[in-house]
Amino acid sequence: MKVNVLRRMTPEQEPYWESFLYDGSEDNTVAGLLDYINYNDDILNDKGEKTTRISWECSCIQGICGACAMIVNDVPALACEAFLKDIQGEEISLRPLSKFPVIRDLVVDRSGIYDSLRHNNVCIETYKPPSDGDHEQDYASAKCLKCGLCIECCPKYTDGRTFYGAPFANDCYLVASRNQEKSHEILEIYQEHFKDSCAFDLACMRICPMGIKITACMKKLNSLK
Amino acid sequence: MEALVIGSGIAGMACALRLAKQGIHVVLASPYPSERSQSVMAAGGINAMVSGNEEGDSVESHIQDTLKGGSGLGGEEAVRGMCEHGGEIIRYLESIGTVFSVDGANKPVRRAFGGQSHKRTYYCGSATGKQIVSALAMECRRFEAFGMITRRLRCSFHSALIRDGAAYGALLYDEASARLEACYADFLVMATGGQNALFGKTTGSSLCDGYAAGRLFMQGAVLKNLEFIQYHPTTLETAQKKMLISEAVRGEGGRLFYVENGERVYFMEEKYGKRGNLMTRDVISREIYATGKDVYLDISFLDGQTIDERLPEVRDICIKYRGIDIKKEPIPVSPSVHFFMGGLAVHLNHETSLRNLFAVGECASIYHGANRLGGNSLLSAIYSGFVAADEIAGRAPARKYPDFTAFMEDERRLLKKSSASKSTFPVFYIRDMLSMTMAEHLGIVRDEKGLEEGLTDIGYYLSIAEKIRYDRSVPAYSNFSLKPILCIAGATLASARERRESRGAHFRSDYPETLERYGYATLVSYQDGKFQIRPDQEHAYES
Repeated sequence: MKVNVLRRMTPEQEPYWESFLYDGSEDNTVAGLLDYINYNDDILNDKGEKTTRISWECSCIQGICGACAMIVNDVPALACEAFLKDIQGEEISLRPLSKFPVIRDLVVDRSGIYDSLRHNNVCIETYKPPSDGDHEQDYASAKCLKCGLCIECCPKYTDGRTFYGAPFANDCYLVASRNQEKSHEILEIYQEHFKDSCAFDLACMRICPMGIKITACMKKLNSLK
Repeated sequence: MEALVIGSGIAGMACALRLAKQGIHVVLASPYPSERSQSVMAAGGINAMVSGNEEGDSVESHIQDTLKGGSGLGGEEAVRGMCEHGGEIIRYLESIGTVFSVDGANKPVRRAFGGQSHKRTYYCGSATGKQIVSALAMECRRFEAFGMITRRLRCSFHSALIRDGAAYGALLYDEASARLEACYADFLVMATGGQNALFGKTTGSSLCDGYAAGRLFMQGAVLKNLEFIQYHPTTLETAQKKMLISEAVRGEGGRLFYVENGERVYFMEEKYGKRGNLMTRDVISREIYATGKDVYLDISFLDGQTIDERLPEVRDICIKYRGIDIKKEPIPVSPSVHFFMGGLAVHLNHETSLRNLFAVGECASIYHGANRLGGNSLLSAIYSGFVAADEIAGRAPARKYPDFTAFMEDERRLLKKSSASKSTFPVFYIRDMLSMTMAEHLGIVRDEKGLEEGLTDIGYYLSIAEKIRYDRSVPAYSNFSLKPILCIAGATLASARERRESRGAHFRSDYPETLERYGYATLVSYQDGKFQIRPDQEHAYES
């Protein structure tokens, strides 16, 4: 299998494509493929030239930490959940998430997700849940990985300066569901940084590796007064 | 007053929050955000005695279960404190928004866990760690917003700033600038997790590699009980790693069996009675090992809705990675390295052998003795963070930081030297050899010969580690972490060799009995490249 990787060594460098040949197991995931390619004395590209190891981020290797989010054949995915046997064709392309600054190769800086939440004080403060809570949705929302896949496929998210994407709405929901006294404050920032610009494309919901129903979060938030 | 907390999993965040609440500014340093920490992989639950627990349960019985599980090596006073605060910790977690599984009256519910006399494990589906991380991370955000907690991401612990037996902060390796930076602090708290990656890909995170404890060991910190390594009895083999099949499955009634002559043999129930599947993890792992057969865990008899409600993450892992539908078929399971009862030796207040250097969570050794009960790791992670924070809050800050310029220059020079390498040799070749050594000689069953061979291997790896130039195209951490990782591995093998008995998770085929004369914690120090082992007969550390 030919593996095309969009590379860059530093944030300042122009990205370039480099190809590798993969002859490992088809049972692997993309995470396993990257480990396989990197596990050699000399890393050779498809032309037989020496090159450097491919940088990527990982921790749990089982789809519950979100570290290895990247673009696999033009589809945002967690590398540890993207199975090679599901890939169509003989080639695979790997790119870093495009909505975040690239640090190196497939590693990106997702701190913007946290900055938007911190700057807007999206936190519970006092635990005063409403009586009509939705436990199932609370549980699902608290599983958000902050992996950025939803942001990657969002047609409205650009630079994260004003529209913050689904993770922001998700955590706004969590605050509203844990502290009803903060509803008004949360509603305002949710409207300003999510609802007013959301295109309701819902690609974010389809791509979410945790299966979080952002529409349920929005419904709850939209019902706040 | 300034505290530096290294590691932003559950223990690190719990400590940082408690410090910040008491007006102490915290720098919370980690390579990645909390969502990437190993804490999110904790599945089954958190133990606590809360009013409303089943009849007959008490704090005392939680204490006794924990001490019994630890085979007499858990710190009794520490365990008492932890168990007495279990209810308070559950209420705290609720108050910050942790989404516990609840009953029809919206009250958190409990499940049975191994080695416990009563059902006292509170849980969040089978993703308890993730739910707690989410709640703590949001609470941390509140303190970050008004400046009491400052997160430093993309930086790794390099070494502690130590002078005359006291810590004054740490050197951090900043990935963005590729430089070592001094981060001075009145108190340094380590919350860096266990040593999973010594064994390669285990149930844990590949980020938990034992480097920090290993480096501190080389800088003078005492380590304790390293030989006690918990093998979780039920993990699922996948192409990528051994994945944890939570004890929650057995807590919900899951049954272990193997097949003989076409019949299922429920070996745990046959030997230990109807609660056989809920024996402690060390016992079950040894029993699975002893069968010599393929073992399965069956939960398919439970109705589908209950599985969906209580074990959704287990259901998803099995179907996603192995195509196994747990509602219809049993899960093939085998034991794998899961938790480290040993780590940095700490006193009751969680201070290590070095002043102003604290350790919390899995990297500290105090509560679990020779074997940890399921559900006690999350409890001890939070409790230990609180204890360390409360101790620090009652201390006076350092009057003046010593001058560490010479130390920093030395370390920077070493780093620069290694980064000038043109080699393409990957450090992971040695790390993989280390994994094989550890798996072969520190398995569920050990013996003198194997442990000696393991130590010989480590001696060889150490002898070549500093002579080899490594590929510098990988993050510098991968390379500078090697020697301390090898040292903690060696200290672990040496500790296991010196304990010539069997106790808890440490089973010696050549010394299968538990012996009274070994009823002490094992302490290990690093002196002139040698591992100095001694039993803690004076109880210098809490045990």
